[in-house]
Amino acid sequence: MDRLKRAALITRLLQKLREKGSWCGETHVQKAAFFLQNLMRVPLGFDFILYKHGPFSFDLRDELTSMRADGLVRLVPQWPYGPSILTTDLAKNIQDIYSKTLKQYESRITFVAEKLGGKGVAELERLATALYVTQEQDEISSSHERVKTLTTIKPHISTEQAAIAIEEIDRIIEESQRILAGSD
Amino acid sequence: MTVPKQFHEIRDPIHVFIRLDNHERNVLDSRPFQRLRHVHQLALTYLVYPGATHKRFEHSLGVMELATRVFDVITNPNNISGGVLDQLGVLRDNQELLYWRRVLRMAALCHDIGHLPFSHASEDLLPDGWDHEKITQEIITSDEMKQIWENMTPPLRVEDIIKLAVGPKKAKNFHFSDWEAILAEIIVGDAFGVDRMDYLLRDSHHLGVAYGKFDHYRLIDTLRILPTQTSDEKEAGELTLGVDEGGIQSSEALMVARYFMYSQVYFHPIRRIYDIHLRDFLKDWLGNGVFSTDIDQFLSVTDNEITVALRTAALDPTKPGHPHAQRIVGRKHFKLLYKRNPNDVAINPEAGQAVFNALSQQFGADFFRRDRYSQKGGAPDFPVLMWDGRIVSSLAVSEVLNNVPIVSVDYVFADREVYEKAEKWLLQNRETIITPQKEEAING
Repeated sequence: MDRLKRAALITRLLQKLREKGSWCGETHVQKAAFFLQNLMRVPLGFDFILYKHGPFSFDLRDELTSMRADGLVRLVPQWPYGPSILTTDLAKNIQDIYSKTLKQYESRITFVAEKLGGKGVAELERLATALYVTQEQDEISSSHERVKTLTTIKPHISTEQAAIAIEEIDRIIEESQRILAGSD
Repeated sequence: MTVPKQFHEIRDPIHVFIRLDNHERNVLDSRPFQRLRHVHQLALTYLVYPGATHKRFEHSLGVMELATRVFDVITNPNNISGGVLDQLGVLRDNQELLYWRRVLRMAALCHDIGHLPFSHASEDLLPDGWDHEKITQEIITSDEMKQIWENMTPPLRVEDIIKLAVGPKKAKNFHFSDWEAILAEIIVGDAFGVDRMDYLLRDSHHLGVAYGKFDHYRLIDTLRILPTQTSDEKEAGELTLGVDEGGIQSSEALMVARYFMYSQVYFHPIRRIYDIHLRDFLKDWLGNGVFSTDIDQFLSVTDNEITVALRTAALDPTKPGHPHAQRIVGRKHFKLLYKRNPNDVAINPEAGQAVFNALSQQFGADFFRRDRYSQKGGAPDFPVLMWDGRIVSSLAVSEVLNNVPIVSVDYVFADREVYEKAEKWLLQNRETIITPQKEEAING
């Protein structure tokens, strides 16, 4: 995907997350972009690996830095935590150029923001790892098997937390099918 | 009777002495590592900064030395908080720590072992799916090196060396525990990776450019394993490398040094165009345009073989790559015609691409080269342990870190033959060229 087109999509995702109450730190953006690409099939072209706190893309990290260099996003420090990532006025210009693409993916971006906007980083980690595990395993894998895999990969996640995450991810996947069917 | 030497010292202009034991000396003496004596750290930069003749060999030794210093500081019981100890059991096990210290040293020593001739300048000239980190992995797992790892006391697991040497970004098929991720951070980490620390200090020393110097003694002494601060108050963040409060200024100095070295040295436009000409030459010289990934063949080519070929080709018009070689040897490099500036970026962040396309269309693509690079990695956001025991984000306490500019370059170079015409034409058409069109107008 063209770099600026991708920047238009990421900045729109950031705006929507913010509208839904997200802190919009890097972890929030990483997990939301993972959902947008791997669940909602928006071809952002990022390579996600399973890292310390769940799915993570070094390419996306680089891209966010490039977008800061281009003045499309800025960091706002928030004592004592890591910064929030906010879009700038320049991002609107890019969004205007790619308004056709944004329209095409609007419902998918909104869906991700609605599902993840209100969540903290620990919950996002569990949910994104649950999606990762679900997509990596056979379609026939039971909830029980996926809970087991999740707690093996992330030993600090309890069985109870993992079960809740798997249950929630199944619901989100089901709902996403309706959005995808409507926008295809 | 003479007692065989168990430890060896190597003099180094940056770290004074670098010491190795007999096992480690075997790595140093191996064919893949000795090859690094003949790979320039900064490619053809010596054509711009004559002092830049140092090699990957001494840099690799420097990375090993700094990695060891960091390891010793962060695993010192006086520098570990209770919470961290609970999460990283390895810190309580001295035997395990000794094993990992050795793995870290060897990974640091070998982190650049797969570099191509002229380092990053020829990075693109590998078959699809290959990069120097992948070659590094192949060399570390080669029979020759495997034998060395197996004969160490204790024997080292190849997978552990690979993980720490190339890090999670490049070792995508490996799972990293929190401990392994922290050790990999010591070498290739975004904020405090010693690879960067060493090359900033070393390059600065050899080039005679003071910008790259910072107080690395103080910085390393204040490094700690700390949890990141997240907006999620109930949950502890991931463990990573941070500093205690006394290390803030030296961290700032590191980031500023990085910015200046990138903007003044690594992205000096003439240095960059020489890299491009070298790449053009190598594409022709290699025949099929790429270096071999067969390890034996790979190890047989260094800067020396290419320098001879370059000088021969510059004198002989029948040799492949002659015009590119002539540009380098005869110092007739393309000249900088356009560079990124804030005004253009506000209109079009990819203005350089638009300029390059328009010039190529008007005068012919062969007369122009484009070079685009934007800084990699994230913001300098790491945990800081305050004097009162609180842990805060570095960006919440440091004005400097919030304001270190990001290096982003976009250059268009022109052949001297068309330079003046192109310059004039660009001046007249610049506004139209860089104004972006709506996607409908481009794609229909």
